[in-house]
Formats: sequence, C-alpha cells, structure tokens
Amino acid sequence: MCCIGIVLILLLPIVSLCQKAFESPHNDLYYLWDSLLLDYSLNTLYLILIASSVSLFFGIFPAWLVSTYQFRFRNFFDLTLYLPLAIPTYIMAFTYSDLLSYTGSFQSLIRHHFPLASDIVNQDYLQIEILGCILGFALYPYVYTAARVSFGFVGASYINMSKNLGLSNNQIFYKVLLPLSRPAIFSGLFLVVMEILNEYGAVKYFGVNTFTTGIFKAWFSMGNEGTAIQLSFFLVFFVFLILFIEKQSQKSARYFYKANTNKIVLQIPSLSKQVFIYLVCVLPLILCFVIPFSHIFMNSIREFSTIDFGHLFLLCLNSVKVASFSALMIVLIALFLLFVEKISKHKISTFLNQVISLGYVIPGAVIGLGIILLFTQTPYFKSIPLVGSFFVLIYAYVFRFLAVGKSPIKSSLEKQPESFDDTAKNLGLSPLRILRKIHLPISGMALVISFIVTFIDLLKELPITLILRPFNFDTLATQTYEFAVEEMLQKSSVYSLAIIIMGSCLLILLKYITNKQINAS
Amino acid sequence: MKYIFTILTLLLCLHSCSQSPVTVNQVNLYSERHYEVDKIQYDRFQELTGIKVNVVKANADELIQRLKNEAENSPADLFISVDAGKLQKASSEGLLQQIHSPIVNSNVSPDLMDINGFWIPITYRARILVFSKDRVNPNELSTYSNLIDSKWENRILVRSSTNAYNQALLSSIIANKGIEEASEWANKVVNNFARDPKGSDRDQVKAIAANQGDVAIVNSYYIGLLMSSENEEELKAGNSVGVFFPNQGEGEKGAHINISGIGVVKNAPNKENAIKLIEYLTGVEAQNNYVHTSHEYSVNSRVQGSEISKSWGEFKRDTLDLNLLGVYRKQAIEIFDKSGWK
Repeated sequence: MCCIGIVLILLLPIVSLCQKAFESPHNDLYYLWDSLLLDYSLNTLYLILIASSVSLFFGIFPAWLVSTYQFRFRNFFDLTLYLPLAIPTYIMAFTYSDLLSYTGSFQSLIRHHFPLASDIVNQDYLQIEILGCILGFALYPYVYTAARVSFGFVGASYINMSKNLGLSNNQIFYKVLLPLSRPAIFSGLFLVVMEILNEYGAVKYFGVNTFTTGIFKAWFSMGNEGTAIQLSFFLVFFVFLILFIEKQSQKSARYFYKANTNKIVLQIPSLSKQVFIYLVCVLPLILCFVIPFSHIFMNSIREFSTIDFGHLFLLCLNSVKVASFSALMIVLIALFLLFVEKISKHKISTFLNQVISLGYVIPGAVIGLGIILLFTQTPYFKSIPLVGSFFVLIYAYVFRFLAVGKSPIKSSLEKQPESFDDTAKNLGLSPLRILRKIHLPISGMALVISFIVTFIDLLKELPITLILRPFNFDTLATQTYEFAVEEMLQKSSVYSLAIIIMGSCLLILLKYITNKQINAS
Repeated sequence: MKYIFTILTLLLCLHSCSQSPVTVNQVNLYSERHYEVDKIQYDRFQELTGIKVNVVKANADELIQRLKNEAENSPADLFISVDAGKLQKASSEGLLQQIHSPIVNSNVSPDLMDINGFWIPITYRARILVFSKDRVNPNELSTYSNLIDSKWENRILVRSSTNAYNQALLSSIIANKGIEEASEWANKVVNNFARDPKGSDRDQVKAIAANQGDVAIVNSYYIGLLMSSENEEELKAGNSVGVFFPNQGEGEKGAHINISGIGVVKNAPNKENAIKLIEYLTGVEAQNNYVHTSHEYSVNSRVQGSEISKSWGEFKRDTLDLNLLGVYRKQAIEIFDKSGWK
C-alpha cells in the first residue's frame, strides 16, 4: 500500500499535465502539426542518427580494446574515457562553437601562423552535423560505460571457445561480444537518445529546429502551454515506441552470458595493433575532454583576477546541497520501490515502476510547469505558497531523475536469484529484514553507484532549477548558463570548471567501484 | 539505516546553516534579466534604502506561467522582462497593476511610457543594421524594407525566428505596414539570406568579419559589448563593421526599439518597496550604471549614452505603442513560419 502511495504521489505532476493538456484548445497543435512538425521530427531523427553514430563509435571500440588488450596506459584510458560525462551538453556545445568561431582560438591561430589555410578553415560551423558530433562527444560515455561493463562480464569461456573454433579477434568482437552485449549497449544508447530529445539550449543556438523546439515554440512563442504538454506526450509515446521495438526484437534472443564468470585474460597486442589501439583511445579523449577542458581552464585563468571566490564557494555549496539531498532521496525511494516489486512479484507494481520513469522523458521545463500546476491549482496545496521552496524543487528532481537512480539498483537486484527471497521467507524473515540482511549488503555498492550517477546529473541540471528555485538561489549550472546565454563564455568558465572538476572526481570514484565489481565477478 | 539518518541530519544542518535570515523589509522580483549590472543595482539599492532585493531569474514565459498559477498567493512584487511584448502579455492576463509615481514620471521620457500605465521601461535598445565597412557603402542602406532589394541577395545575416527580438521587429512591421506588406518583407528577406539563421547577435557580426555575409540585423548593445571586449579578435570583429540606424529618412517612422521593462504584480505584498525600486532604477545613478556596463540606452533623458553608443550618433526612434509588439506576436510567428525563416 505504502508503495502504491509513493508512486501515486510521484505521479501527481503527470496527472496535472494531463488535465491541462485536455483542457487546452487544439488550434495551435493543428497549426504546428500541419506546418512544422514533420520538418522538426526529421531534424530530430537526423540529429539522433549522427550523435548516436558518434557515441557508438567512440563508445564501443575503446571499450572493446580496453576490455581485451593489455597495453601501456590502459588503466589511464579506462578511467579518463568516462570523464566527458562531467561536461554538460550545453557547455560542450557553447565551448566548441566559441572555439571554432571566426574570433575563436582555432581560426585565430590559423590566421596568424598559416594565413594560406585561413580560407579553408573559415567555415560556418553552426551546422546540424557539427552539433550532432558535439552531442556525441558529450554523451558517448553512456555507451562506453555500458559496453565496458558488458564486455567485462561476458567472461573468458565464450572467447576461448570462439578461439578454438578458429575465430579471429575481430570476428570474436563482431560475432560474439557485440551480439551478447546488445542489450547493454542499447541501454547506453537509449540514455543518449533521451538526452538529445531533452536538449534545448544547444539546438537553439545552432539554429536546428528539433521536436523540443516545437514544444517550446508552442509555449514561449505561441503562449499555449497546453499544446506544449500535448507535444511532450507525443515525445513520451515516441520513446515508448523505441523501447517496445527493441524489446520485441530482443524477444527472439536470450542472453545467458552471466553464467560465464571466468575473467578474460588480457592479450598483448602486436606493434601495429598498438598504434591502432592508441589512436582509437586517444581520439575520443582529446576531442571530448582535453580540448573543451583546456579551453574552459584557460578561460578561467584569464578571468582569475575577477573571480569572486566567496560567491563561487556559495554556488558550490548550493549545488552540492540540493544534489546530495535529492540524490539520497532518489536512492531511498528507488530502493524501496524496486524491493517491493521484487518481493511482491505483482504485475501492477512492475507497471507502476515503469510509469514513474516517465519523468526522464519529459523535458525539464515541462516538468517544472506540471509541478507549478500541481502546487498552485490543487485545492489542498493552493493556499500554501509552496512553489519556490526547497521541498518542491527536490520533489521535482526526484520525479525527473528517479529513472536514473533506479537503473543501477535494478540491475543489482535482478542479479540476485529469487531463491534468496523464497528461502528467507520460509525461514520466517519479514520483508524489512530480507532487505536489511540480504539485499542491502549485496547491493550496497549499487546504491553508491546510483547515488553518484544521480548526483552528477543533478549537478548539471538546469531547466527545473531555473523555473522552480527559491529566491536568490543560484547553482553552478544556473550561473554558467546565465553567462553563456548572454554570450559571456569567458565569465562562465570558472563555474563550468567547478562542475567539471566535481563531476570528474565522482566519476573517478565511480570507476574505482565498478572496476572492483568487474574484478570481483 | 542509521547511517542514512545521520547523513540526512547533516544535510539538513548544512541547509539551515546556509539559509539567510528572514527579512521583512524586502522586495521580490521575478526577472528575465540576468546581466551582471543588475546585481550591482540591487546591492546599491539595498545599501541606500535597507530594502533587500530577492530575485528569481528565468525565461519570461515561465515566470508569467508561475505568476498566473500562483495568483493571489504569489510572493512576487515585480516582474521584469527584456521585451515589451511579454509585459503586454502579463498585463493583458491581469497579472500587473497600474502604478502612479511622480518620481517615475519625471524620470522616464513620456514617449517610452506604457500608455496603459502597467509597465515602466528601465532601458531600451534599437534593432539596427551593421554592415561590412569593406564591402558595403552605407549610402546603399536606408530602411528595413530596403533589405528586400535583390542587391542584397546572399548577403543578409540574422538569428533565428524563435528569438523574441526578431518577433518584436516583425510585429512592429505588421503594426506599421499591415500583414500583407510584412509577409512580403519576410519572404523576400529570407531570399536574401547569406545562410540559414543561427547563432546569437554577436555571431552575426563575427560572420560579417568572416566574410560570410555583408549586412546583419542585430541589437545595438551587442555591438557595444563587442567593441569593448577584452578579446582582441572580438574587438577587431566589432571594429570591422559600421553601425546604421534604419528608417531615419523624412517620412520614415524611425528605428525599431524595444525595452527592458518592469511591472508591479497585481497582488504585490511589498508594493511600496516595489515602487521605490522602480524609482531608483529609473533614476540618474542606476541609469548611468546600465548605460556604461551594458551599452543599453537610458530611458532617463538626463542620462547620456556610453562613449561607444554616442559614437554612433543620435537617431530617431519608432514611437509605436510597444504593447503592439505583444499583440501581433502570433501573426509574426505565423509569417516567419510561412516564409521559411528558420
């Protein structure tokens, strides 16, 4: 009952959004549908295609090489290839467009030192293809993480068997590793697609009209928030369609690789292969982390004399405060809901758990709108000015990021055989004690991973914070955005740097934990 | 479990430590402006009056939505937007109240005031043309309408139509010349684009410097910011373009302007303080701050522009009722969509 109660409370913003969507007239929806949505949808698909290709390329190949071969700096690459996850997509896009612009460092350098080449590099870089690549740069670690963990789990038995059957390393990769890791890679790619669908700042700057542009056009330009909500629901439908198609296509295959627990013995590559390995690992590292990080770092040094360290410290404190509290709430709620689902084995609780993941699909600003509607229009809440309080901000974060926090806990709980629960029940343990005595000790690390992943996402979160924050409350992300949107990238750099450094430290910790898990398995 | 409770307690302590004490003498702002100069203004106001300024900054439409839903429970006293159209939207939805202040009336030029008295301008900016000093003779430029001439084919640069400044410009053309002429203007300007609309106003200037186009439609203060940039390359780009105020000829209505404005929220809990803040922001000291840090134009005739904006010379501004920028917004968006102005 308690579980259903929590789910219902978390679903309230969806209810108020639905109500608003049905109340609104459909004229603007028809208008957008007739004149623009096809174009916007095609742009979105094209952008997804480019960014996904880049993410898959930068994610899968290094993961395969790091999982299979022993080479110098292997551990270094394994660690640093995660780091672009600490850079928010909008910062990545603004940084690259600044770097590549006519007055940016790249073109200036060429003009001064290689004047003959200056005409060749003097191009319009604000193109959908370039944006797709930049989004891929920022998001590929989702695929890398998933592929790396999956390749690590496949185990040596399959590899040895394939070798005995005469398969080359490349054949093993294409015929064994890749098909076996498909569900994991898809889950990484799914997150990439979600992030692209939610992206607004960067696509607007690049002049690329995506489906999300349509949502904000309905709301901001046409003043019809109802239509914006209706369009958001189309987006939700689209995401469910992707999930459904993938599930159907996976039904024909079954994956039993977890039974193989022998560790892969790392191979020593030939010299020519080493060159290839370094190329594949260095390229994403330089493009996706070293270049943007150095640019932001250099800008921060130029701004050093004007930095207000007191203000910077306050913003760091604000960001850490809301992110840690919300991440903790998310972990607790996710654990509780998933545990109830596991224990009760009710289809309804599985369904409810899927429904509350909706928050991750709906654009942040629309969630903000749903929360405002909920807390200002519902008779019970109406008289209390709750919007603009930390309570509502954290509630919105929980709603939005529960899906992110759930995923590591879910995969950990799923790995534990049902016989554990059945035996414990037969021995007379209450559900709470099953949780405390069995699942918490086993899934402890999954909880920490869930906390870190959610914390990093919350650190970067922007649209919900902008619309729901209390008076005089700024975070590192809002401050970065305010300067960047006013075209003062240099001033925003120190705040971006703080986000990136904090995120990177946590990612290194996360990496340490996941490595331990892979080795332990 | 007890670790979790310990962490929760620690976090709550951290939260309560960093909370500022409740201030009674305050004024609450919902603001679309987030320039550095604003913080300076609010700090100075607090220093002078002891009234603390609390701010929430977000997009104007989001803030309007928040005001609309909060209704009489809203803690907001003032709403600030960088577009007269949004202020008109807020007032037409009954979210603002009229105010009467002799000080404000004496501070602000009468032709910039809202004829209905719901909002007060605090700065204004012109949507101007900038041109390549190498490739364009300023005598070739005259009006916004002139941009449809075939001589500008593949030469015009501008940002996307989702931008509020472009929507306001087209709304002013609809208000001045009617829907048909505005549609024709948009269609033909699109044909003259040097590239698809993208980037910010500053990017259009950089594109002129990069020889990707010759004439750009931009807001005046962005040129001021570029010309005072610490980045040498940006400075060069800013100096490579000339500034031209359109519609200055005889019989022409003047260059299109838009305001940053402020309105008192209908149920403002601190109305007196709100009016005091408006009086301060429109006064000479605050106006000087705006003019010299963000290169916007002052609404107070006793305050002159920054050195950079003065170097462009005086200009005639369009005296259109700026509420019409909000009234015609929807038609403007439809025209943009039909014309293919991305």
